Amino acid sequence: MLYEAYMRNKMSKMKLTHQNGGEGFVLVLGLSLILSGGVAWGQDEEIPEGFKMGARPAKPSAEQIEAGKRVYFTKCVWCHGVKGEGDGPSADRLWPRPRNFTQGTFKIRHTASGELPLIDVDLFQTVTHGLPGSAMPSWEGILTEQQRKDALAFVTTQLVQDRDWQDEEFESFTVLQLDQIKPVESTPESIKAGSELVVKNKCIECHGLEGRGDGNAFNLKDDWGFPIQPADWHKCWNFRGSRQDAYNKKNIFRTFSTGLNGTPMPSFADNTTIEERWNIANYVNSLCERKDEININGGKVSDEIATALSKGQPLPIDPMTDKPKSNFVVPSKYVEGELPTDEHDERWKIAPRRWIAMGGQITHKPRNFVNRIDDIWVQSLYNDTHITFLFQWDDRTKSMQEEEVDWDPTEVNLADYGVEEQPPVTGEAGSIAARQNKYTVYNDGLAFQFPIKWQELPFPRKPRYFWGDEKFSVDLTKWTADGTIQAYEGTGWDQDFNERDFAEQLEVKKAEWKNGRWTLLIQRPLKGDYDEDAELVPGNYIPMVFFGWDGHNCDVGRKMAVSAFYYLVMEPQIPKEAYIYPVLMAIGMVGIEGWVLTRRSNRRKGKVIT
Amino acid sequence: MTWLKLVEGYMPIQMISELAICILFFSMVNYALGKAGAKVPKFWAGVFVWLFIQAYLKFRIYPPIPFSVRAIYGTVSFCGVFMWVSGSQAEWDEFKRPILNVMDAQTPMLKAIRTVALIALPLALGGYGWNSFQPSFEEPIELRTVHPAPPATTKVHGKTFVLQTSQNPFRVNKEGKYDQKYSDERIVVQDMGRLMKDVNSPDFNPWDPNAEGYTKYVREGGEIFFQNCNFCDGDNLNGRGLWAYAFNPIPANFTDAGTIAQLQETFVFWRVSQGGIGLPPEGFPWASVMPPWKQHLTTDEIWKVVMFEYWHTGYYPRTWD
Repeated sequence: MLYEAYMRNKMSKMKLTHQNGGEGFVLVLGLSLILSGGVAWGQDEEIPEGFKMGARPAKPSAEQIEAGKRVYFTKCVWCHGVKGEGDGPSADRLWPRPRNFTQGTFKIRHTASGELPLIDVDLFQTVTHGLPGSAMPSWEGILTEQQRKDALAFVTTQLVQDRDWQDEEFESFTVLQLDQIKPVESTPESIKAGSELVVKNKCIECHGLEGRGDGNAFNLKDDWGFPIQPADWHKCWNFRGSRQDAYNKKNIFRTFSTGLNGTPMPSFADNTTIEERWNIANYVNSLCERKDEININGGKVSDEIATALSKGQPLPIDPMTDKPKSNFVVPSKYVEGELPTDEHDERWKIAPRRWIAMGGQITHKPRNFVNRIDDIWVQSLYNDTHITFLFQWDDRTKSMQEEEVDWDPTEVNLADYGVEEQPPVTGEAGSIAARQNKYTVYNDGLAFQFPIKWQELPFPRKPRYFWGDEKFSVDLTKWTADGTIQAYEGTGWDQDFNERDFAEQLEVKKAEWKNGRWTLLIQRPLKGDYDEDAELVPGNYIPMVFFGWDGHNCDVGRKMAVSAFYYLVMEPQIPKEAYIYPVLMAIGMVGIEGWVLTRRSNRRKGKVIT
Repeated sequence: MTWLKLVEGYMPIQMISELAICILFFSMVNYALGKAGAKVPKFWAGVFVWLFIQAYLKFRIYPPIPFSVRAIYGTVSFCGVFMWVSGSQAEWDEFKRPILNVMDAQTPMLKAIRTVALIALPLALGGYGWNSFQPSFEEPIELRTVHPAPPATTKVHGKTFVLQTSQNPFRVNKEGKYDQKYSDERIVVQDMGRLMKDVNSPDFNPWDPNAEGYTKYVREGGEIFFQNCNFCDGDNLNGRGLWAYAFNPIPANFTDAGTIAQLQETFVFWRVSQGGIGLPPEGFPWASVMPPWKQHLTTDEIWKVVMFEYWHTGYYPRTWD
């Protein structure tokens, strides 16, 4: 691999410069022969297909570096730290941690594995577009183009310590010619070939059979020893290198061709052809969530699946957030007869899928600074007596707590039991990134709430999003991965839950974790006791909030993911009037047309006569 | 349009000037075509301009404006176009001519158009009726007061603060006296990028090891901000934090001239310390995820964060006089 080539190149040269004797030379020659395994080394290194030797970035002027220092200490220092060691005040509560610049290791590049990135292309795009899924925002529209370049001049010359873009001896730039390589069209054949290549190239070992990042997800570390998770291919808007253009397969092709320095993601430039890389990019890109759910059968992509994948319509992306657009109305469709008992029922096709954005709960202690459930997909159907919800969300780990906990499930104030939030400044060793994956494992879980007496709410009043309030309590339905489903009454964020008998009527039709995703089907009656349980009536806007827990993230109690307010609307059937009035309107229009034309022609006749 | 962005704060003026430039351009094209002998009929010119304005409002403006608002703009622009086409009797006749020609249908071509129009109109109206009778469930519009009237006093950690008279204890000059003029001189420069005045001076760079007093407190406020607030309010205090996408209402954009720049510092202190749950009903306390920061921070920390927010956005807090 190129990184190894770079290292042995560097090592050999170092030896050569430091040792002058003939003995040393023989030793070095022998060493390099062993290291290179007989392959040509040094400047003659074969350039992989699609790459070309590129120009060295120009050396910035002292004025530019000085201007960049001003930008850095106003905007960047808060995360990246005074010396650029990725240890600013915010670093300990962020995961992924901010980049430590000192080693010159950068993930997203057009340059070959192990090489420094192009400053004006790679680093500039990172600053311009940010790194989705991390705290690095897009600085476009905030800093001018010149200011962004100035900041990079400062970072690359003053903060990167171990390497130097101007070092002609050790640093070269083998650049992926992304704009010159013609992409392979995303045909069913290409997608199918890609699905086979991700198995052959062992991508699935880390990224999982269906690409949800659930493979070897728990043992991976980056170069600094911090745990790192493989990307979830179903959420392309979270790809760090997506450059605010989530569904662009070129980004995937680039990452796959150059690898991510400092992480276990290697470059595949040496062992795949360009066409193979496009096939993989097409497949990975086709897995990113589309308007309709496509079951990819554990990665065993048949011709039918490949065709469906090639036709998928990308989700509209909100340019304000670079995430899929939210729709705060969750529609439930009416069906006759029994409600579905699994997610494969054909009738789910009539119920639109809604994307529920989830954020970390950071209102009350213990706050959840690292939120691993960032969205939930929900669909709903109802009949004359019951309603059913189909939830699907990606979770790299199936979490079930092994030991009994000390508290009762209705208790919410868990600080006394040692469930506390991450203290602010703890240094690198105690930071969230260092402690990640070492937390106690609790149960995965999902809950949703309705106001119990939503009929009596004076518009637009709602019970507080966080488990209701004193005046208006909420109907909470909580499922946990140990298989239990509970009905609670919530009266406030710090008030213990009250159990409701309604739990006996709740049914978990399906709860399955497979290939990095939970599928959960919960059915409940529309009606219960008016005073205790929310009564769900078609044609109304019923406020709804969702909560999620990832057990392997130590999510428990108030440490959880939470959504904004959504509205459940059970759509009533089409009224009779809808069939009668449009016809009447059309007939009326014909009448008006006749009248206007008659009048006009009478008038013209009159004119002709006079 | 990614190459030409609508900039927050300048959006209305951008919209008006863009529309004006386009209309001017159309007039020039119209004039040039007239000179060249290919005069555009007034009827089509009017229809085109009106449709263009509709399309501009629908596709150019982001975030999208609701249909009800667009309908108002549509009516206003319709009136404008109508006034333009009916300026004089001659112009009005010219405008009407294509419509009357179709109604009279003197040529086979016009006859065909008339037939199509006669069939299409009832169908379109019927279709519109069908659509409007379908049960439709758009997101209800709930108008929330973003800056509700503050209370007279607020209690934080057992101490009562009178909003009219309280002062930020860290907004002090070298002598340790409250001095807004002194601090206003040390905030970031209010131009593109909003950068600190001088990175090499301990007077202006909070990260200078020799920074003291106000400038040092700004750094301490920033440290608290970047451990607590940046998740929602964003690394540039523009309300685009890591999780901003998940919440509704979305976090406030402090760099916009309409938020903290319009408020007294004590108002911000009240909002920060009491959080979303402390809002009056018109501010929708039930929906806000803004923490009551008195649960997480000390009074001093809250004052420092507030001061940092003004420093970093380059705004002055409003004063009572």
